[in-house]
Amino acid sequence: MKIEGEFIFNGTREQVWELVRDPEVLATALPGTQKLELVGENEYEGTMNVRIGPVAGVFTGRISVANEVLPESFTMNVEGRGKPGFVEGTGDIHLIAQEDGTTLMQYDGDVQIGGRLAGVGQRLIDTVSKSMIRQGLEALNSALIARVSAQTTDQEVAYTPPSETEFAKAVAKDMVGEAIRSPNIVRIALIVIFILAILFVILMITRG
Amino acid sequence: MTKKYIGKRIKRLEDPRLLTGQALFVDDVEIHGMLHAAFLRSDYAHAQLVSIDVSTARERPGVVAVYTAEDMGDDWQPGPPLVSPPHTVEDVVFHSRTQVPLVKDKVRQAGEPIAVVIAESRYIAEDAIEDILVELEPLDAVVDLEAALEPDSALVHDDLDSNLASHFQQGKGDYEAVRESADLVLERRIVIDRGAAGAMENRGLVAHWDQRSQHLTVWDTTQSPIPIRNGIAARLGLSEHQVRVIAPFVGGGFGPKIMMHYPEEMVIPWASVKLGRPIKWIEDRRENFYAMTQERGQVHEVEMSLSSDGRILGIRDIFLHDTGAYNPYGLTLPLNTQSHVMGVYDVQNFFSEVKVVFTNKPIVTPVRGAGRPQGIFIVERLLDIAAKKLGIHPVDIRKKNLIPPDAFPYEHNIIDQAFAPLIFDSGNYLPVLERAAEMIGYDHFVQEEQPRLKAEGKHVGIGIVCFVETTGVGPYEGGRVTIENDGKVSVATGVGTQGQGHFTSFAQIVAEQVGVKVEDVRIVTGDTSEFHWGTGTFASRGAVVAANAINASAGIVREKILKLASELLETPEEELEIEDGVVRVADIPKQSMTLAELAQLANPLRGAVEPGTEPGLEATAYFGPRYGAAAMGAHAMIIEVDPETMMVDIQRYVVVEDCGTVLNPLILDGQIHGGISLGIGNAYYEKLVYDENGQLLNASLADYLIPGATEIPRIEIDHKETRSPLNPLGSKGAGEAGAIPVPALFAQAVENALGDDELEILEMPMSPNRLFELRYRKEKPA
Repeated sequence: MKIEGEFIFNGTREQVWELVRDPEVLATALPGTQKLELVGENEYEGTMNVRIGPVAGVFTGRISVANEVLPESFTMNVEGRGKPGFVEGTGDIHLIAQEDGTTLMQYDGDVQIGGRLAGVGQRLIDTVSKSMIRQGLEALNSALIARVSAQTTDQEVAYTPPSETEFAKAVAKDMVGEAIRSPNIVRIALIVIFILAILFVILMITRG
Repeated sequence: MTKKYIGKRIKRLEDPRLLTGQALFVDDVEIHGMLHAAFLRSDYAHAQLVSIDVSTARERPGVVAVYTAEDMGDDWQPGPPLVSPPHTVEDVVFHSRTQVPLVKDKVRQAGEPIAVVIAESRYIAEDAIEDILVELEPLDAVVDLEAALEPDSALVHDDLDSNLASHFQQGKGDYEAVRESADLVLERRIVIDRGAAGAMENRGLVAHWDQRSQHLTVWDTTQSPIPIRNGIAARLGLSEHQVRVIAPFVGGGFGPKIMMHYPEEMVIPWASVKLGRPIKWIEDRRENFYAMTQERGQVHEVEMSLSSDGRILGIRDIFLHDTGAYNPYGLTLPLNTQSHVMGVYDVQNFFSEVKVVFTNKPIVTPVRGAGRPQGIFIVERLLDIAAKKLGIHPVDIRKKNLIPPDAFPYEHNIIDQAFAPLIFDSGNYLPVLERAAEMIGYDHFVQEEQPRLKAEGKHVGIGIVCFVETTGVGPYEGGRVTIENDGKVSVATGVGTQGQGHFTSFAQIVAEQVGVKVEDVRIVTGDTSEFHWGTGTFASRGAVVAANAINASAGIVREKILKLASELLETPEEELEIEDGVVRVADIPKQSMTLAELAQLANPLRGAVEPGTEPGLEATAYFGPRYGAAAMGAHAMIIEVDPETMMVDIQRYVVVEDCGTVLNPLILDGQIHGGISLGIGNAYYEKLVYDENGQLLNASLADYLIPGATEIPRIEIDHKETRSPLNPLGSKGAGEAGAIPVPALFAQAVENALGDDELEILEMPMSPNRLFELRYRKEKPA
């Protein structure tokens, strides 16, 4: 599976670099992450709860960083395994300074998935992974804004990392967004709502 | 003599039990103290097993045992090869590599079992699976058939020089010579991908070792209980009489439940003996996608040479056949493809070369159709293209090439799946094709309907194809028929039953012979303690091989009845008749005896008998044909295609089938309906999609589409009966028939509907997306 995209951070390249290499911030940005520790030079180990449609479970993984060109680019290798299967991938990340002082992140990666994740989660994985990446990056950007603000104005901007529930809710929302494009789903949803309404009325009548 | 029961449309006697949930399936077996098994399976398609630690799993409360390959010690042995390589084909290369009970050194397909947990419940067993720490070192996966034979490819079996599992060629005449003189030479590349059998019931096993009686009982969803019994006994060092295998009602077989000796069939009985406890394992649907065999991965480079009047001069077919990670089933499938690539046509010059390839995908063994749909797809597609190029009517080009009725038995001069000469025993093909064309109204549709529909902006097309099916292969089956003391009849045979209606069609044969009502015949199939000689239900052979064995034993019992009745009624045998369980003198109906009375007298409990007397009205007989009987048929359809969405609507579907003597038209029609359903799946819905790492990407029924009632049209069926001279009943098989021609027919009809002369459908399974890409000439996305 190819993963590629762009994201704009409200900070300089150096600030972004520092942020994305801080395991504590990374862990809060990807809720479900139970722990993420620096275990060696440029190597992190962690565990993470993942839910993709019918596939759920704990992943144990290792992230390593290579080809560092500070503050321009680096390569990330990810290896994760767990009950739901495995994920192995490599991604190149580029940070490009923008004229307005923001930073454009470009990412481009190739991910292999296997086991239940591949066999059963296949048709959801694209949406879910894109959604997780987008939300993770948004959370990182919030953290960045908080940090930068603290450094430059001495004024703390509150950064509350998203909870696992909020995160899951947002992923579900993205998935529904995809599904809504199929008119059939809308039809089924309307029928379900209709049936629920009838049940509600019946319940009210029998009670009252 | 007019038949009273054979050939009659009798409703299936087993259905009330099946439909009201009263039939026994493997998962219904409950035994006091029974344990439950779950398997740890590899997520990787190809990987080295570095280490495995089961200590935590063993400590989990409720876990009774955890076994790895190492724990099996010397009992760890690969499964037996089911079909030995042919000795009759010259210069055949064959490397036998069979599946293993649990992975010892290397994983060769995703889903291959690495360890088994035996626990007090399935819940505990599955939880304990997650306690196992296994380290696998991933290797490059062998997935693509052509890349697999490149010198730099990873190896599925490290002890071989390449992924070539087998290589052989055969032919007749001189293809190269006729190619030179041909008016038209068609060269095409045809790709047929994999599908699943998708039986409603997954696999399952219960093994029960009784320490006190030193006896093992195994309930197994197998199509072949007797070979499984023999294999289990051999592996465990037991006498065959210490092992009883019961294949109760099985919710669909379709091939992959043949005598595989699956890893689970090797591990569960072994563990039961080791622990002295009954153990149940029931495959879940996701496991089934990985752990059950599949079929139809082939890539063909094929050529057909024709004369300008549409006569086939010769066919050359060079192809690759995917056997998956192991090849226990020998060469049955590629040989079957070769046997069918000439279809129903008289082809004098033929050359075929096949390379069988190991890949890191599930093992390939027959799935309903078994190599035949590929052959039929090729010959029918090439005839379609030839008809277009030469401007010949699609029905006429077929008529021109049919094997004529006086050419039977038609010797093909190549070797078939049984490694015997391929001979079509009998047939009369022209009336079948003509009847199908007449039923679908071919010319009327093309001349009148189609132009009118086209003017309305509708894309409706027609197709018609022929197929042949080699059926009813040996070696043999047996049957035992007994008249019981109450006058009812008991019958046992070795084949298993997975929904074929054996309890009715076999009963009709026996009822006809011994003169009882059909419902008074009780059939037992698939229980080795009831009958322990035979091979199983596969290759469309039940109604040929087992039915003729039962017919033979019922015939002997009839003789015994008449002999005894003749003595007791003091009447010559010729003057006796048997009807509804009563033997009577034809002219004096009051002078009669019931079968119950005769059965009791045939088994005297006191007094003396003549030396040499055999008790009872019972007989056992066997039947083995010299070679298989060739059934034939023609299918036609009218289909509407929406050119924007490529969704299809099959508006009419016509079948004319000649499978010799029809035992029960209702059951036969049901078999044809089922076959067509699978064929429609094979044509447009059911494709197992693997990525370049050997990962199956649609391992659930949400993503792998099995046609439902809405995709299956109403099917109009007619029968012709050309009796097989190879067996007394004159029957030929029909179990797989329905599935065989559908992809070829579908392709022809869809092309016709879209009215695009450049469009050639040369791959299966298709899908709406793929058809869209082909229609609008888009390359397949990477």
